[in-house]
Amino acid sequence: MLTIRNLSKTYPNGVRALSEVSLDIPNGMFGLLGPNGAGKSTLMRTIATLQDPDSGSIRLGDLDVLADKPATRRVLGYLPQEFGVYPKVSAEAMLDHFAVLKGVTRRGERRDLVDALLKQVNLWDVRKRKLGGFSGGMRQRFGIAQALIGDPKLVIVDEPTAGLDPEERQRFLNLLAEIGERVVVILSTHIVEDVTELCPRMAIIAQGRVRLAGEPRETIRALEGRVWRRAIDKAALPQYRERMTVLSTRLAGGATLIHVLAEAKPEDGFESVSPDLEDVYFGQLHHAASNKAA
Amino acid sequence: MFREIFRFELRQQLRSPLFWLVAVALAALAFGAASSDTIQIGGGVGNVHRNAPMVVITMLAFFSVLGLFLITIFVAGAALRDFGANTAELMFATPMSRGAYLGGRFAAGWLVSVVVLVVVAIGMWLGSMMPWLDPARLGPTPWRAYGWALAVVVLPNLFFIGALLFLLATLTRSMLGTYIGVIAFFVLWQIALVTLGNGNIEHQTVGAIIDPFGLGALDLATRYWTPSDQNVRIPELAGMLLGNRGLWLAAGAGLLAATFLLFKPDREGLRWFRRRKHSNVPDAVPTINVAPIVLPVVALRSGFVARSRQFRKLAWFDTRFVLRGVPFLVMLAFGLANLGGSLAFSGEIYGTSVWPVTHLMARAMDTSFTWLLPFVLAFYAGELVWRERDRRVGEVVDAFPMPDWIPLLSKVCALAVVTVLFLAAGSLFCMAYQLLRGYHHLQPLLYLQFIGLDLLSFLLFGILAVVLQVWANNKFVGYALVVAFFVAMIALSQFHLSDHLYRYGSAPATPYSDMNGFGSFWIGTLWFRAYWYCFAIALLVSAALYWVRGTTSGWRARGRVALQRFGWPARGVLVAAIAGFIALGIFNFHNTHGLYHYQTYDEGQRLQANYEKDYRKYMGMAQPRITDVKVNVAMYPARRRVDIDGHYVLVNRHAKPIDELLVQLPVPDTREARIDLDFPAHTVEHADPKQGFYLYKLATPLAPGASMDFGFRMHVAYDGFSNEPAGEQFVHNGTFFDSFAFPHFCYDRSRELSDNNDRRKYGLGPAQRLPKRDDAAAHGNNLISCDADWVHFEATLSTSPDQIALAPGYLQKEWTEGGRRYFHYVQDTPILDFFSFQSARYEVAREKWHDVNLEIYYDPQHPYNVQRMFKAMRLSLDYYTQHFGPYQFRQLRILEFPDYASFAQSFANTVPFSESIGFIADLRKPTDIDYVTYVTAHEIGHQWWVHQAIGADVQGVTMLDESVAQYSALMVMKHLYGPTKMRKFLKYELDRYLGGRAGERVEEMPLALVENQPYIHYRKASVIFYALADYIGEDKVNAALRTWLDKVKFQQPPYTDTRELIADLRAVAGPEYQNLITDFFDKITLFDNRMVSATAKKLADGKYEVTMHVHAAKYYADGKGKETRARVDIPIEIGVFAEAKDGVEQDEKPLYLAKVPVKDGDSTITVTVDGKPYEAGIDPFNELVDRVSNDNRAPVTIE
Repeated sequence: MLTIRNLSKTYPNGVRALSEVSLDIPNGMFGLLGPNGAGKSTLMRTIATLQDPDSGSIRLGDLDVLADKPATRRVLGYLPQEFGVYPKVSAEAMLDHFAVLKGVTRRGERRDLVDALLKQVNLWDVRKRKLGGFSGGMRQRFGIAQALIGDPKLVIVDEPTAGLDPEERQRFLNLLAEIGERVVVILSTHIVEDVTELCPRMAIIAQGRVRLAGEPRETIRALEGRVWRRAIDKAALPQYRERMTVLSTRLAGGATLIHVLAEAKPEDGFESVSPDLEDVYFGQLHHAASNKAA
Repeated sequence: MFREIFRFELRQQLRSPLFWLVAVALAALAFGAASSDTIQIGGGVGNVHRNAPMVVITMLAFFSVLGLFLITIFVAGAALRDFGANTAELMFATPMSRGAYLGGRFAAGWLVSVVVLVVVAIGMWLGSMMPWLDPARLGPTPWRAYGWALAVVVLPNLFFIGALLFLLATLTRSMLGTYIGVIAFFVLWQIALVTLGNGNIEHQTVGAIIDPFGLGALDLATRYWTPSDQNVRIPELAGMLLGNRGLWLAAGAGLLAATFLLFKPDREGLRWFRRRKHSNVPDAVPTINVAPIVLPVVALRSGFVARSRQFRKLAWFDTRFVLRGVPFLVMLAFGLANLGGSLAFSGEIYGTSVWPVTHLMARAMDTSFTWLLPFVLAFYAGELVWRERDRRVGEVVDAFPMPDWIPLLSKVCALAVVTVLFLAAGSLFCMAYQLLRGYHHLQPLLYLQFIGLDLLSFLLFGILAVVLQVWANNKFVGYALVVAFFVAMIALSQFHLSDHLYRYGSAPATPYSDMNGFGSFWIGTLWFRAYWYCFAIALLVSAALYWVRGTTSGWRARGRVALQRFGWPARGVLVAAIAGFIALGIFNFHNTHGLYHYQTYDEGQRLQANYEKDYRKYMGMAQPRITDVKVNVAMYPARRRVDIDGHYVLVNRHAKPIDELLVQLPVPDTREARIDLDFPAHTVEHADPKQGFYLYKLATPLAPGASMDFGFRMHVAYDGFSNEPAGEQFVHNGTFFDSFAFPHFCYDRSRELSDNNDRRKYGLGPAQRLPKRDDAAAHGNNLISCDADWVHFEATLSTSPDQIALAPGYLQKEWTEGGRRYFHYVQDTPILDFFSFQSARYEVAREKWHDVNLEIYYDPQHPYNVQRMFKAMRLSLDYYTQHFGPYQFRQLRILEFPDYASFAQSFANTVPFSESIGFIADLRKPTDIDYVTYVTAHEIGHQWWVHQAIGADVQGVTMLDESVAQYSALMVMKHLYGPTKMRKFLKYELDRYLGGRAGERVEEMPLALVENQPYIHYRKASVIFYALADYIGEDKVNAALRTWLDKVKFQQPPYTDTRELIADLRAVAGPEYQNLITDFFDKITLFDNRMVSATAKKLADGKYEVTMHVHAAKYYADGKGKETRARVDIPIEIGVFAEAKDGVEQDEKPLYLAKVPVKDGDSTITVTVDGKPYEAGIDPFNELVDRVSNDNRAPVTIE
């Protein structure tokens, strides 16, 4: 169980990245959903001991993450949002190098581990290839391989699916799900499906605050019967926005399709739809935005 | 479009804080240089005004070089802006033209660089306006010089270098490629400097052309400028200078054109190698793996073994990164190329090379790596510290459970490997060079020692660079801090703050000599290295604490992290390092300040000034004179200790009794020095141990004619170490000191401050270097001593059993006693009060010349020129005895001494000779100047021209010994090698004279009044005496010298002066040469002789009538170099030459050659010759002092 309490962080330029964030994250996959700039990466980096908050605490079981960084790092697997590779080094050599740095200093152990990891993430066939020539998906899989070195208790993956094609993404998520059966896995993303498909628990974060935390199904149930859909004329959209809580707009077959949040059918032409996580997400964002405006 | 790009770029640049930082920093430096003495750039010293045109030009040229590294940022920045900011693809997708894009960017970058230099010029000008400056040292503001320097030096320099950098930056699209370009450029420049600066006048023109900054060409154009020239003149944009500027402007334009042609406004840029396409292996198997994750269980270890494995692995990983990179190889190649340049010229004298002995190789390596390696280390410190973050691997690795010190130390380790590889490659290169030159005495172990010493020094800098990068947490700020460190070190030197205790990383030098090896000089070096390594370790601890992991930034956040990390291991190491630093600091302080006298530059000057103020009044005080010297000198080479038990007999030669004894004692730099005096009853009147100046009242005055005994016991030892190597006279092998280390009885004029500007600062009047020639009282002393004339000398020397100890005089007895070797020398005729004492492990070669024993004591490693020296001894003795008079001794000895000084010196029948100026000369090439014979002949000349005839200590005195010895040596050389070969030598001498007078700080004197000015009494004298012998005849000069010698031989006071010798020369010269002697000796005379044109007509009888239009002009210069036109009233040589078969000018046969009266100014001379004329010349062999020597000849046009 990872316990985050009252975490706040303000950057020198005045941006308030985290504001009194508190979360309880049990074993299993945990989705952290939020738009760009919501503070997801700051939170992830903070948990990964790479950044200190201004205040607050993080505990992993008995371990004080912020105070005892070396100990935290021993049980941590981290795949940052953006990470590079040395382009002229092969995947195998690089993974071996990382394993040494992580503390797997016995040569035999390390070789077995590297082999197993490469097979696990399906990079075995290309292990001799230079990392510079890897595609985005291969690179992400390499990233998860390094995060798995040393049997981590806490795995943090920061927006790993951005830029992957659907197939790669699927493969990657499967891998994560597999890991998530045993340890705490925090997956941050702005793609709602990632969370829907994988995470038993989730939180939505916007403007540095936790907007909502819980199980996706629970949160969706809360919206049951309150989401309405209608195809409208594009020119009329501003009017709708003014009058109703428009969750999302989308183009479908030349028409503009909007989702609206309302306790009852707002007006004729709207039909009820069963809500999904996306509606929850946009609902929270809308809420956050209107709070801010108010 | 161009305007828009230009305007945008200019605004970007001018808004950047970096620009203002650079401009203001450089301007401040220029201001400091112009307004204070502490920063000296540009040569505004002595009689040259602080703001003289030449000073302004030199300073601006200097700043255009200094700015190079900073200007790189602007120009390359302009070229790389779009690639750095990832806007390139946006830019290239617009319909702008390539020309507008590149042109705009370049013009803006260049203009910004120019603005920096303009700001510098303003700083300089402001500096020269400051009210505290001595108005005597300022001239009117030289606006023209500012303009000239900007137009001729600064603009073209910046244009060329800007174009080069722009090309590199555009093509490589990387800052790295551009950096390499800067290094390449710098190497080119260094090579130019080396070729130009080593004094080999044959390479000057090459050096002047290939120097892209034009400094070489500028130097060539102005090297003979006297202070007065420098104060008013501006160089003419012509000749080599014009060529150089034109060449490099054109080169710049070419580079710019290449940029336009090669630039590709696309994503890929220029590809040097077409890369193999990646084979399109399909990405991993597309099956979806849903098998459970089964990974072998591994332990994450953190014990000592695991840590050291991690360190080794990471260190190797970082090292490999450096070694595999192109930049490393390129820089290494540059380093070696540069080394090749310095090797080729190291140790050259008169253009003659020396045997490539290992320590000279190491020294050359030192000079070529001292700037390059720090540059490489600074560069890689930045690359390594930022390696992970630049590649964005940082966030991954930073989250690993690895201590912070492991990556830090692995970077340092990589830098150490880089340093070792540079030094090792350099050493191998040197050994290859040695073999190539046919020198087979390779000393790999010695190279290893040099590598070790150098590594210790360079690595300290590498550590600092790493630490600065970590602290700065920004690569460019890190680089800027490194530059700031360099500047601070230079500034400390400029302020004469030279104590190694506060100069990071510095240590006493470790001079090496083949004879003495490193001696004990390495001890101080290593202690100071240890001291600074303690400090460096403390720095590293701080860097480990502040090592950034993740995205922490800002000092407060980093401070919090540091505090978290500051556990017991870090504290322990830090405390130990600081404790070591303090303990070693105390120890080193005890050595450099406790065992030795440490003196700052200012303290030294003040001491000199006070000496003069307090004691000059005692100059000429009636004192007894030394008549007998008997010394017992015990040398303990292994302990660098000498004990002297001396005894003088002093006689009162004055008419009055002497009741006050003035004793001047030496003040050695070691504190372990004791001198006890023992003489008849006296009381101390004044004691000043700091100056070594004492006055004693004798209880019984010394009656006229009476004599007294004076005993002294001295003990000097060089234990421990000093801030700079001290006591090179007292070493393990090659001890050499002289009798200036003994007590003397007069005011020591050589301690006075000699620079007039320094003197003014301490409230002293203008320097009086020597008494006037008509100062009768001054004729009482000779050049050598102020308290003795001709004395009896006897010495007993003892030394360690493996060494031979030598002093002037004949060996009476040699014996061993108590494990020490004793030598007893007696000089049975009176000699000057001037003795040398030497001890070393010598090889001895003996020969005989008539009944004179010739002996050479040399180091077994240096047998090369021993036979040549014997030959020179015999030839000299032959010539001198035949023409001047008998040799007064029964022996003549040459004794090698270590490379700590490079001179030879003549004591009675004893000539100490430095290992560096003859023993290792490589004279296998017969065309090279044989300076071994020359130096030997010169020193033997002194056996006549010092040890028989010595002048009074007044103006002109060094003409009587040095100039006449120089003449004697030239005659020996001429008879050995022939007059043709002499001209190469004389060309050097003329060049060194003209260059020397340009650097005169006080006043140039005519030869007859020379005030111990080497460029006059050696260099000018060579030219003048050689010409004199050619004009009036060698026989006549010799006859005059003989006449003079017979008159003054072993003379008692009053001593002779130059008037007597010149009178003897006038007596033999004949009336037609009286003006010549005046011009040569009594005036500073310069000629401007030119062969304007020459035509020839074939006559009916087959002969040719040659008509020559010549220009002849003569100038008299005053002591500051101001010239007045004088009428040519001496005969000048006119020559007509036939073409040489081999085309070599030296081999052209003269058809007509005569010294004829030439009209002043332009005139026409017609002569008839037998053969077909090819060239005609006025003073064709450059016998007269003429600043432009290559216009004296012109080809003859046949009509």
